[in-house]
Amino acid sequence: MNIVEYQEKLLDKAIKAGFKEAEVYFERKNSFQCMLYEGQIDSYETSEDGGLCLRGLYNGKLGYAYTEKLDDDSMSFLIDSAKANADVLDEDECIDIFEGSNEYTSYEFYNEELETIGIPEKIELLRLIEQKIRAYDSRIVTLDYCFLQEYSTERSLANSKNLSLSHKENGLVIFLSTVVREGEELKTGSYLKMTRDFHSLNADEIAKAAAEEALANLGEKSIPSGKYPIILRSDATASLLSIFMPILSAENAQKDQSLLKGKVGQKVASDTFTLLNAPFHPEALSGASFDGEGVATKEQAIILDGILQTLLHNRKTAKKEGCETSGHAHKDSYKGTLSIAPQNLYISPGKRSQEALIASVSEGVLITKLSGLHSGTNTISGDFSVAAQGFHIQDGKIASPVKQMTIAGNFFDFLNNIEETSSELYFLPNGYGSSSLLVKELSVTVE
Amino acid sequence: MEHARKATIMRQANDIARNYDERINQVKVRYLDEEQHVLIANSEGKFVEDTRIHSRLAIQATASEGKEMQTGFYGPGAHAGFEFIENLNLEHYAGEAARIAVTMLHADECPSGKFPVIIDNEFGGVIFHEACGHGLEATAVAKNNSVFANRIGEKVAPEIVTYIDDGTLPNEWGSLNIDDEGEKTRKNILIENGILKGYLIDKFNARRMNAEPTGSSRRQSYRFNPTSRMTNTYIAPGSSKPEEIIASTEYGIYAKYMGGGQVNPSTGDYNFAVMEAYIVKDGKIDRPVRGATLIGNGARTLQLVDRVGNNLAHGAGMCGSISGSLPVNVGQPMIRVSEITVGGTKGE
Repeated sequence: MNIVEYQEKLLDKAIKAGFKEAEVYFERKNSFQCMLYEGQIDSYETSEDGGLCLRGLYNGKLGYAYTEKLDDDSMSFLIDSAKANADVLDEDECIDIFEGSNEYTSYEFYNEELETIGIPEKIELLRLIEQKIRAYDSRIVTLDYCFLQEYSTERSLANSKNLSLSHKENGLVIFLSTVVREGEELKTGSYLKMTRDFHSLNADEIAKAAAEEALANLGEKSIPSGKYPIILRSDATASLLSIFMPILSAENAQKDQSLLKGKVGQKVASDTFTLLNAPFHPEALSGASFDGEGVATKEQAIILDGILQTLLHNRKTAKKEGCETSGHAHKDSYKGTLSIAPQNLYISPGKRSQEALIASVSEGVLITKLSGLHSGTNTISGDFSVAAQGFHIQDGKIASPVKQMTIAGNFFDFLNNIEETSSELYFLPNGYGSSSLLVKELSVTVE
Repeated sequence: MEHARKATIMRQANDIARNYDERINQVKVRYLDEEQHVLIANSEGKFVEDTRIHSRLAIQATASEGKEMQTGFYGPGAHAGFEFIENLNLEHYAGEAARIAVTMLHADECPSGKFPVIIDNEFGGVIFHEACGHGLEATAVAKNNSVFANRIGEKVAPEIVTYIDDGTLPNEWGSLNIDDEGEKTRKNILIENGILKGYLIDKFNARRMNAEPTGSSRRQSYRFNPTSRMTNTYIAPGSSKPEEIIASTEYGIYAKYMGGGQVNPSTGDYNFAVMEAYIVKDGKIDRPVRGATLIGNGARTLQLVDRVGNNLAHGAGMCGSISGSLPVNVGQPMIRVSEITVGGTKGE
C-alpha cells in the first residue's frame, strides 16, 4: 500500500471510529553515515527510519498515537491508542485540525544530484580530506572524528479537512575533529561543513580549515579573570542562540516560563540586533514550506532593530492569545507531540567583517567555541555560565589562545549589550545561524 | 498499567511541588516507562534474550518572584517496573525539586576563581562520569585518544580513590543482565586505591586492544552500533564523615546538586553546571550561590581529590554518546577536590 492510500484509509477509519477530525503525519528518513580512522573505515551505517502519527479530536480532546509499522493491524492500534490518549488528557482548550493556508511558497529543499553520486566517491573524498589533514602539519596527531553523513527526508501531512502537503529534503554533512600536540599540550579543533552540492566540496580547502582550526589552539596562555569585551564568533553565537530559542516560544510565555512574556512591541535588544525567521534561506539546510500543523511558513522578523515583533506561535498558543499563528508548530519526528520551533532563525549580519571587529578591540577575548550549553544555561532566568574556547585580543590583533575559560552573563542583558554584528553568516545544521558579534562585556574566568 | 494510575502519581508529584511554596509557579512532571526486548545472536553461536524494564519520574519546579526565575530538578529512575514509581517517596523528590528552585531564587551570584570544591553524594558522581569515565571507555582508549590510554598499573589518583563500574547492582537504573553483545555484565574495578586497573571494553575494541571484553558494550537500540559504555559508575565509599569534610574546609564551594556537564575525551577537559551551590566559610555552609560552572581537566582533577566520604549513593541520568542515549547511574559519597576553577557571574 502506498503512503497516500494508507493515509486516506486511516483517516476514513478514524472518522468512522468516532473522531470528529483527524490528521495523519508521515515521515521517512534515509541516511548513510561513515567514520574513518587513519585511512580505514571505522564505522559504516545505512538506515531507513520512519513512522506515522495519528492525531485526532475525540470527545473534544486531541489524542495522538504513532507507529513504525504500516499495515492494516496498525490502523486499529493507532485509533484505539489515540482514543485512550485523548481520554487521559486534562486540557480542554481544544484546537481543531487545520483546514490549510491560502498559499504555500514553493522552494526546492532537495537536490537529486546528491543522491546519484555513489557512496564510494563520498568515502573517497572523506579519505582524501583525512589524509590531507594528517599530512598538513607534524603537530597533528590524528583525527578523533572524521565523519560524513548524507540524509534524505520525506514528510507528508494529510487530514480529514482535505489538506494534503508533502516535503522532501536532503543534505550532506562532514564533521572533523583534529587532535594536535606540541610537547605536553594536547588540543582539539572541530570543523563542520554542510551542503546539498557535492561538487562544491574542495578537499584542500576543507583540510586546511580543519587543520588550522585545531593548530590555532596550541600555545595557550592564561590571562587574568575579569570582565572583557567579547567577540563571539558566528558558529558559537548560533549555538548559544539555539539554546535560548525557548524564550521566544509563546507556549513558554503563556506558562510563565519566558521573561519575554508581554514584551511584543518593546525593546528587548540593542538597535543593531535583528533576528530573522527564514524558512527558505539558501545557506541553511533546513526549513520547509509548511509547519507541523500544515500552516504555511514565511520570512519574518522576530526582533527588528531591537524591538520584539512577535513570539513564535502555533495554532493553540495563537488562539489563547487571540492572534494569528506565526507558523511555528514543530514536530521533532513522527513520535513527537507538537511543540514550537523556528524555521531557520538567524542573527542578521552587519557591514564590517569579523576581522574589522577584532581590529576595533584594544583588549578583549574572541570566543570560538562554547561547550556545556545544555547544562550551563537557564532559559528561564537567562543566566548562563558555560565553558569557552578562544583567543586573547590585544591591540586589535589575536595575541594567543587562552586556557580553558568560562564566560558568564545573562542572555537578556547580552542582547542589549551587542554593539555590532559582523558581515559573516554561518548556519548550523539545525537551522540556527548568526554573524559574529561584538559584545560590550562578559565575565570571563580562566583556568 | 492503566494510564489513569500513572497520571494520578504525576498529579500528586505536581501538587506536592506546587504546595511547597507560593513562589512555585510552574511544575513539569514527566513520566517514563519502557520495556525493551533484545535478542542477540552471533556467528560464534551466541543466542541470548533479555527484557529490560525502565521507569522514571522527572520533576522540574520553577520558582519566580518579580523578574527572578529559577528551576529545580529531580529525576529518580530504576531498572524496575511500576512498583518503583508507586513506592517513590514523592514528598522527598518533588519537595526537593521545589526547594532547590526556591533556594536559588535569591541566591547571590557565584564568585569565580580557584577554590576547594565539595561535591555531595549521589548525582554528584556525574563529574567523574564525565571527567574520568568517558576516558576509560575503549572507544577512546583503543585509538589512544584518552589521557588514560596505556597507563594500566600507573597511579592516576590519590590512594583514597577507587572507581568502579558495576552493571550487576539489583534494579539500578544503569544495570543490565547482559550487555548488547550478549556478555554478562560484571563489576569492573577501573581504579583501585589510586592505581589504574582496567577499562570498559566491547568486543570490537577488545580485538584492537588485545584484551578481553568487560560486559560493557551498549547501544540505545538496533539503530546504533554497540560500543563500550558505562552502566552504574561510582567512587567507592571512604572513611570521612560528610560533616567533617565541610567542617575542615576554610573557604570553598559546596555543590549540593550537580547539573549536567560535558567532556572532550581526547583532552579530558570538562565543564559542569552546579544546580544548587553554596559558599562554605570557616567550616560552615554560609549562603547559596547560583551560576556556578566547574571547568578543568579530568586527569588533573582526579589527582586533587583529598577527601572521600562514607555516604555512597547513586543517581539516575541519561548519557549520550556515539551509540545513543542510555540510562546510566552515576554515584559517589561526598568528596572534596582541593582546587577546581569555578566560573561565576560575579567575578573575583
